[in-house]
Amino acid sequence: MRLSIRHDTHYHYEDQVRNSIQYLRLTPHDSERQQVLSWQLDLPRPVRAQLDPYGNILHVLTLDEPHESIVIGARGQVEIDESREAEHESQSALPFLRFTRLTEADEALREFAMLQSHGRPDRSGLIDLMHALNAHIRYQPGATRVETSAVEAFAGGQGVCQDHAHAFLACARSLGVPARYVSGYLFADSQDHLASHAWAEAWLDGAWYSFDVTNCLAKPERHLKLAVGLDYLDACPVRGMRRGGGGEQMHARVDVAPLLQVQQ
Amino acid sequence: MARTFYDEMYDASGAVRPHYQTFARWLADTPAELLAQRRREADLLFHRAGITFTLYGDDQGTERLIPFDIIPRSIPASEWRIVERGCIQRVQALNMFLADLYHEQRILKAGIIPAEQVLANEGYQIAMQGLNLHRDLYAHIAGVDLVRDGDGSYYVLEDNLRTPSGVSYMLEDRKMMMRLFPELFAAQRVAPIDHYPNLLLDTLKSSSPLDNPNVVVLTPGRFNSAYFEHAFLAREMGVELVEGADLFVRDDKLFMRTTAGAKQVDVVYRRLDDAFLDPLAFNPDSMLGVPGLLACYRSGNVVLANAIGTGVADDKSIYPYVGEMIRFYLDEEPILKNVPTYQCRKPAELSHVLANLEQLVVKETQGSGGYGMLVGPAASKAEIEAFRERLKANPAAYIAQPTLCLSTCPTFVEQGIAPRHIDLRPFVLSGKETRIVPGGLTRVALREGSLVVNSSQGGGTKDTWVVED
Repeated sequence: MRLSIRHDTHYHYEDQVRNSIQYLRLTPHDSERQQVLSWQLDLPRPVRAQLDPYGNILHVLTLDEPHESIVIGARGQVEIDESREAEHESQSALPFLRFTRLTEADEALREFAMLQSHGRPDRSGLIDLMHALNAHIRYQPGATRVETSAVEAFAGGQGVCQDHAHAFLACARSLGVPARYVSGYLFADSQDHLASHAWAEAWLDGAWYSFDVTNCLAKPERHLKLAVGLDYLDACPVRGMRRGGGGEQMHARVDVAPLLQVQQ
Repeated sequence: MARTFYDEMYDASGAVRPHYQTFARWLADTPAELLAQRRREADLLFHRAGITFTLYGDDQGTERLIPFDIIPRSIPASEWRIVERGCIQRVQALNMFLADLYHEQRILKAGIIPAEQVLANEGYQIAMQGLNLHRDLYAHIAGVDLVRDGDGSYYVLEDNLRTPSGVSYMLEDRKMMMRLFPELFAAQRVAPIDHYPNLLLDTLKSSSPLDNPNVVVLTPGRFNSAYFEHAFLAREMGVELVEGADLFVRDDKLFMRTTAGAKQVDVVYRRLDDAFLDPLAFNPDSMLGVPGLLACYRSGNVVLANAIGTGVADDKSIYPYVGEMIRFYLDEEPILKNVPTYQCRKPAELSHVLANLEQLVVKETQGSGGYGMLVGPAASKAEIEAFRERLKANPAAYIAQPTLCLSTCPTFVEQGIAPRHIDLRPFVLSGKETRIVPGGLTRVALREGSLVVNSSQGGGTKDTWVVED
C-alpha cells in the first residue's frame, strides 16, 4: 500500500526565542517493509541530514537569530509492504536489553511480564503480554505526560501509545528479550488515535517483530516507521531546547492517507 | 588474624630500604619542632591556594582540605620501569578493546568476553557504534589504581577511563615538598613531574587531526568536587576553562562564546560524564552539557577527550577480562596482576561471596569513589547483614575481591609517625604515543587500619617519588 503523509508542526512562543536547537527525526528510510518514494522536509533554514546512533535520519536544526515561531513541515510518499512481518538487521540487538529511566521495570511489571507471557519469552508469549498490557493500561489521552515512565503508567492504569510502548519494552527486557521503541505514523480508518504513533519491536529469532499494544496488533499493517531507539527520548520526532521564548504553544497536524494508484 | 603488610620504607627486619635511606637520614636529623612548623605551613598554603574538594553526601556541600602528608612515597626507578610498562600495556589494550567493541567486535566473536555482558552494559554507548576516532583512541587520559599486596607485588585495582581525577594533587604535592624541603631534592635525584601539563596539552592536541586545534577544558562547574583541578589544569595548559553554557552548537560545529565573538572549539577535555554531555541525546535534565554536542561529535567536527563510551571498559564486571584483552590484542603476557575477582552475577561465585563476606571486599560494578562498598574485615555484623540483602537483591551489580593487605608507608598522625595504607594512581596519556610521568598520585588512608584511601572517605595524599636506585 502506498501512503501519503503530511505532517506540519507549528511552535509559537510568547516571547522572542534567542536561539534554539532541535533534533528532528522526521525522515523515514528504506527498509524491508517500506520504500520511501519521495520525502521532503520544510525547515526555516537548510540543514544537512545525518544518521543518528540508531541509524535514524537526523536533522539538527539550529536557529540563532531571534524568532517567535518555528514551522516544521514533512511530507512524502512511502510504499509499505504489508505482507512483511519482521525486519532483519546485522547489528547486534543486545544493547536493546538495557533499561532506561522511562523503561525501568519494577517488581509489579516484572511479575506481570512473567505471568502474562506464561514465562515464554517467544512470539506467542509476547502477543499474550501485549493483549494483557492493552487491557491493563487503558487508552486515555491526557492521563500521562511525555516524562511518564513505564512504572508510573502501569501503576496508573491509563496512558497513550507512548506509555504502552514503554511498558511493553520494560516487560520484554525483563524477560531477557531485546526490545526497542518505534516512532512513526499509522494510517487508521477510524480517527480515534492520532496518526503520529508509537509501538514496540522485539528481537526474536534474529529479526525485529512489531508489537503495537495500543491497537493489539502483532503484525504491522499501515505502520510507517520513522525512527527507533531505547525509548521515546531516542526516537521521538522532535526533541529541542531553546533560550528565552516563555510559554510555548504547539500545533501539530498529521494527515496520513492511502494514495490512489492508477496502475499497479 | 595476623596480617603482614609490605612497608614501603622498612623491610621485614625493620631496616630502612635502600631507596629510602637518604630520606630516613634527613628525617632523623630534622628537629621535630621544625617538621611540625612546616606541616602547619603546608596546611596554610594549601588552604590559601584553594586546593579543596567538595564532599558528596554531605548536606552542607562542605569544602574540605585533602590532608597532605610530608613523608613521601618513594619508588625505586628499576621498580617503576616495570610499573610504567605494565600501565602502558594495559591502557593500550583497553584502547584497542574499545575500538574493537565499537567496530568489528572481534573479541566478542572469539568468545573471550560474553557479548551480553558488554553490549547490555550501561557503559556501552550505542552512539559510538561504527564511529571512527582519530588514532583509534578512546581513553586519552587514564588513571590506573595500583596497590601492593603483602609480598610487595603490584596489583591493578581498577582502570579509570572516564574522567580520572587527582593529577592536580600529584603536581601540587610536589610543588609543596620542593618549597618546604628544597634540601631533599638537592640530596638526591627525584624524577621530575612538572611537565605533565605540557604532556597533557600535547596529548589533547594530537587527538585532533588539525595542526593547531583549539582546546578547552569543560567543567560541570564550581560545585563539582574536582572543580579546583579543572581550573588548575586549564590554567597550567594555558587554555580556556568553560562550562556548558559557554558553548553552543551551530550547523554541527562547536563554538565558544568570547568577548571577540564566537570561536570554534576543536578539542574538549571534558570532565563531565557521558550522561550529561548533551541533554538532547542523553539525560534530558542535564543543565551542564551542550545541546547538539553529540551530533557535532558524530559528524567528526570536535574531539572529546575522553571519548564517549569508555565506561564499558573500566566497569568492574569487565575488569576480570583485561588480562585476556592484553593477550588477545597485543599477544603479550600482562605485566601487572589483576586482583582475583568474583562475579556475583554467576550463581556459584555469588554463593561463595555470600558465605565469605567477612573476608571480602564487595564493590558495585558501576561505582566509584569508594561509595557503596563493603570492606568485610572492617565491617560490623549489622553492616554485613545489610549488605548481604542488597547483594541478594541485585547480584549482577556487584563483584567481590579478597581483601588485599595494601602496603603501608610511614605517615604523620596525631601520635607521631605510624604506618598507614596507601595506593598509587599513575596517569597514562595516550596520543601519538602512550606516556606517563614518573610516579602518580599516592593516596593514604589516615585512619588506623583503614583500607579505603578515597578522599571522600577521609583519605589524604603524599608526594610520590621515583628515585634512582
